[in-house]
Formats: sequence, structure tokens, C-alpha cells
Amino acid sequence: MSRALLWALVPPVWRALPWRALAVGGGLGLLLAASTRLPDSTPSSETGLAVLRMVALFGALGLAFLLDDPARHTTTGVPVRRPLRAGLRLTLVAPFMAAWWTAALFLIPAASRPPAGFLTLEALALAACALALPATAIRFTTETEPGRIAAFWLGITSLAACLVPDKWGLFVAEGTGEWDTAHMRWAVLLGLAAVLWATCLPEPLRRRSVPHFTPTGV
Amino acid sequence: MTTGPLNDPASGPTTVSATGLTLRYGGTRALDAVSLELTRGVTGLLGPNGAGKTSLLRVLATAVPPDSGAFTVLGHDPSTTKGRLAARRTLGYLPQTPGFHPDFTAFAFVDYVAILKELTDRAARHREVRRVLEAVDLEDVRGKRIKRLSGGMRQRVALAAALVGDPEFLVLDEPTVGLDPEQRMRFRELVAEAGEGRTVLLSTHQTEDVAMLCHRVVVLTHGRVRFDGTPAELTARAAGRVWVSAQRDPGALAGWRTGTGTFRNIGEPPTGADLLEPTLEDGYLLALDGESTEVTA
Repeated sequence: MSRALLWALVPPVWRALPWRALAVGGGLGLLLAASTRLPDSTPSSETGLAVLRMVALFGALGLAFLLDDPARHTTTGVPVRRPLRAGLRLTLVAPFMAAWWTAALFLIPAASRPPAGFLTLEALALAACALALPATAIRFTTETEPGRIAAFWLGITSLAACLVPDKWGLFVAEGTGEWDTAHMRWAVLLGLAAVLWATCLPEPLRRRSVPHFTPTGV
Repeated sequence: MTTGPLNDPASGPTTVSATGLTLRYGGTRALDAVSLELTRGVTGLLGPNGAGKTSLLRVLATAVPPDSGAFTVLGHDPSTTKGRLAARRTLGYLPQTPGFHPDFTAFAFVDYVAILKELTDRAARHREVRRVLEAVDLEDVRGKRIKRLSGGMRQRVALAAALVGDPEFLVLDEPTVGLDPEQRMRFRELVAEAGEGRTVLLSTHQTEDVAMLCHRVVVLTHGRVRFDGTPAELTARAAGRVWVSAQRDPGALAGWRTGTGTFRNIGEPPTGADLLEPTLEDGYLLALDGESTEVTA
């Protein structure tokens, strides 16, 4: 892979990014975080934690669209590998996501802000899941835009995870005895999602046809 | 049943060679030990829906690996990473349902595909993009966003994307879908031109395209090669098996009323039947009939 090729790829990949989905997810997250700064608003630390978790989820839902590629089938069979293209997409988006998350953290009043490191770990794990789900869909189906279904399942799974008792859960309250253990689970989830993403990207894509995902012939 | 290339009319060296390609989707065998040898020129791939045409093209385009079997593209073995990249450097692929980034212009999209084909020199690449857009008659709308183009124009954008970089092996999956008769004629000119010195594999439902363009035709059914020969040989299979009658002949494999009010029948004609000159389509329909149909012409 030459540097010239990489530079040539940047403008079209930049243009092909799902900016609308990213902006909606990020924008909603920032609005939610900003709501804690409303006059007469004195959010508790529990509220700060809940808000930041929702912000992280909104960001992840937007990120789930990152691999959407309507031109997927038209660009099959080219020598520039898919992992490189996916990696470039992520590289282009990462600085914006980092700045967005930092802004969200600082929008929460310091008094009600939960430990940034722990919450950043949660946000990273959610983001990794948001990337791993569509990567899996791409590997095993002919879907070109798996973002919508990945976002749906990420949202549903996150809501379901809120119902899990603290003993096994991820979304535990700060200051409880399960806080550290839960964040070990977050770290494991982050690692698993990263491995899944990395495993699903390389070509050739091994697939199992899923009928409603198959727009083409047999 | 034999599924190998029993009749290869093409001259010249083999450019694409496949042996025993098998591909399964769950319990369905999309390709069943398909063997083929392609040479330069245009080879037509005919078959009903679900015959495995798209699967074969996707395998040869290195989009999916076969479950078993092997193939080479211009001497490169796509089962290895190095071989697959080398094969892809020779490949132009037009999928059955091409997709686009709708906000890209026709020029920007073909340029993007050109970059993905490793054309890094900007000036040379832009010249090449202009050349293929001109070839598919889209020069005038090259600055228009793809979402504003008609279905036929989008199909030609996809064809331009397949042609960019002057690939030696062109894989075209039902490229004339959505084209009007004039565009189809233009397309035939393009493919015929591309077939000079290149290997073109053209999947289609249009027997006229095969009759006009191809030096060779392969018929697939149920993932197997049912016929492999020249269009003339496929047509010859129907010699003496097409007849005209005043009423529908119940003994015919297929029959339909023509514009003159008579019935055109294919199958085993009754004694004294009024035989007609067969067409490629007649030969194709006969090739599809029953598992007992012979493989060779």
C-alpha cells in the first residue's frame, strides 16, 4: 500500500462517510449533556452518570452506520482491501469522536460528573460493539447498509443490559461494590468487540445467505 | 452427469480456468462441481433464475471463495492473498445489482473505483475516467450526482466502473437490465470491443445478446454446466425440433402463439410436422429441459 494511494483514497472515503447518522447521534448526545447545564438544574451524580451513559449510547448508535457502503458490491473485486477502507473510515472519524466525547464530559457539571476514565471505557466498549455488529453483518450477509439493524440491536441490547442485576450487570451505580467488577466486564467486552471487528473485516468474505439480506440472485 | 468443459470452441490460451467449483448457501448447492476454461473473447453465461450464474460470477470475481474446487485468473490463484490481489488487478466486475454513493457525481464515483484499482497518478487516472465515461456515453452528465441519473445511466456508470483501468478479465452480471434498445445496442458495441483481446464473461437472460456477442456460450442449471459450446452449436441442438402448427401441440415441450396466429413448438415434432429454422433461444430452452439432456452440443 503506497502512501500516494492512501492519500488518494482520503477524499472519496471522507465523502462516503455517513455524516448524517454521525451528526444525529453526536448532536443528540451533546444536547442531552447540555441539558445538565440548564439554569436551576443541579443534577445529582446519579443523573450525571445516567446522562453520560446515554450520551455514549447515542454516539455509538451513530457510529453503527460507519460501515454502511451502498457501493459495496460495485467495489467488490478491487485490489485495495476492505480492512484498509474500513480502517481509513475509522481513522477519519476517530478525532471527531474523541473531541465530541471530551465535550460531552465537560458539559456535565464537575460536581455531578462520574469518573471520566471509567465512563470513557464504557463509551469505547459501546463504540466497539457498534463497529463489530455491522462488520459481522457484512461478513455473513450481502447487506450493504447494516447500520440501521446494528443500531437497533445495539439499542435493544443496551436497554436489556440495564435490567440485568448489578451482580452480573454492566450499568452499575457508582460507589457500589460491583463498580470495579463491572468495569472489568466492560474491558472484556471492549476486547471481544475489537477482536470480532478485526476478525470480520478481512477478505474474502465468508457468508451464509440470509434470505431477507440477499438482494441479488443465488 | 458430466459437468466439465466438453466442447471448447475458442482458440487461444486459457485465461481463466476453474475446476470443480462448489458453493453452498446453507443447504442449497448454488454451484455443483462447475468446471470451465475461458479464453479471450466474449463468453455468454445463460441460465434460468437460481441457476447459479451470479454465484459463479461472484466466485470468479473473487468476491466469495468457493467451498471446494480451484480456479485461476490469468495464472493467478485467488485462494492465496497474494494471488487474489494479483487476480483483482486484472479484473473488472459489474455486479447484478450495482450500488453507488448517491451523492457522488458519475465522475467522482468512477474516479473512486479507479483509486481502488490502484490508479494513483491523478492526471492519468482522470484521463482514464474520462475515457470510460465517454465510452459509455456519459461524458455529458459526468458532473451530475448519481441520485439524479436515470436507471439506465446508473447502469452505465457501473459499467464504466468495471471498465476503468482497462481490465483483462471482465465479469458482467446481467448488464443490460434497465437499458433501452438503443443503449443495449451501444452496450453490445462496447462489450464486443472489450472482448477483443480480453476475456469477458457475460451473464444474461437475453439470448440475442449471446447470439450477437459471444463466441461461446455456457448454460447453467441447478449449479451445473448443462451446455458448453458455440452459439451455433447450441442453436443446432434445436435443428429438426422446432415446428409450426395451427393449434398448440400437446406433445411439445414448449409452445406459444406467434403474431401470425400459428403456434411455434419446440420438442420432439410429430411426423410430417412443418419444421422451422431454430434460433439460439430454441436451443437454450431445449438445453434446459430435463436432467437427461446431454451436456455436449
